[in-house]
Amino acid sequence: MKFDSLTEEHLDALREVSNIGVAHAATALSQLIGRSISLQVPKVLMTDITKVPEVFGGAEKIVVGIYLQMLGDARGNILIVLPRESALRLLSRLLPREKSEGSFLTELEISALKEVGNILASAYLNALGSLMHKTLIPSVPVLSFDMAGAVIDYVLIELGEVGDLALMVETEFFGEDEKISGQFFLLPDPESLKIILNAIGIKL
Amino acid sequence: MSRIISVGISEFKVAAAPSILMTYGLGSCVGIALYDPVALTGGLAHTLLPAPVRTMEQAEKSAKFTCWAIGLMVEELVKCGCASDRLVAKLAGGATMFEPQHRSTHGGIGERNVSAAREALERCRIPLVAEDTGDDYGRSLEFNTATGIIMVRALQRPIKQL
Repeated sequence: MKFDSLTEEHLDALREVSNIGVAHAATALSQLIGRSISLQVPKVLMTDITKVPEVFGGAEKIVVGIYLQMLGDARGNILIVLPRESALRLLSRLLPREKSEGSFLTELEISALKEVGNILASAYLNALGSLMHKTLIPSVPVLSFDMAGAVIDYVLIELGEVGDLALMVETEFFGEDEKISGQFFLLPDPESLKIILNAIGIKL
Repeated sequence: MSRIISVGISEFKVAAAPSILMTYGLGSCVGIALYDPVALTGGLAHTLLPAPVRTMEQAEKSAKFTCWAIGLMVEELVKCGCASDRLVAKLAGGATMFEPQHRSTHGGIGERNVSAAREALERCRIPLVAEDTGDDYGRSLEFNTATGIIMVRALQRPIKQL
């Protein structure tokens, strides 16, 4: 289905299911780091592909991007974007060693962040899947530490093949005392969007 | 003062000296610069995909696709007083941002973008004089239309001049 044929009701439904999914992901993350994590109500954005880098705070912002595919009964892409500072703060809570000096991430740090991505995505997809009575599983995560524009164009490519619009479900999460913030994006394939909407009881 | 013009994804812009054409955060996208050293005029494109897939054959011709961006840019440059036989090209970008775990689905899109650009340049008979492509990092480009020089910036790497 085409993204531009979505109504306000459809977007509301997507926002609601994402809210549940992301709440589970945040619980998983706070258990992992032993701190409470707050969430923003998810935004459902329909954006021109060319404008997507602005959503991430500019094409040149340095971020850690953890990318997974949503596999199973519905397909899509999941991208978790952590600003560099937040990623380093998260690492200092996860790894018992002095933090790296702003340079490249070490193997261990990359591995730890991928695991964070895996936990977040699994929790999200589990919640979404049980709501839909469908099986959704994340792929093995991959990571890139670079300019936001470069990190996301990989995801845009797949969307670009079917149209000019990106549908993004975006949530911001943040820690309470030290600032750990990040964004969680679900970019469903246009084909799978119909499956998701049908499964949550929206007639198309 | 030179004017700075920013080129977004799927866009191309044409400008004359002393303008500077910029594009930010090229990952697997490719930046294609065309330059007429006599007219001191150049164009910069930021393309997303090598060519349209079959389901969108009726797609509008735009700089989203590497295969069309060069032709569109040449047309515009000629309108601005460039001679197509004086044009030279430089390429940057086309990186593989994530480990090739998912390569089966994207088929090395960066590489395909770069080869689509090379083919299109050949078709238009524009010589490719410099490139900085491939690898696994993002790039930002600053194309000075007064000199034809492109500065390639990347995270924690020395600035490269093309």
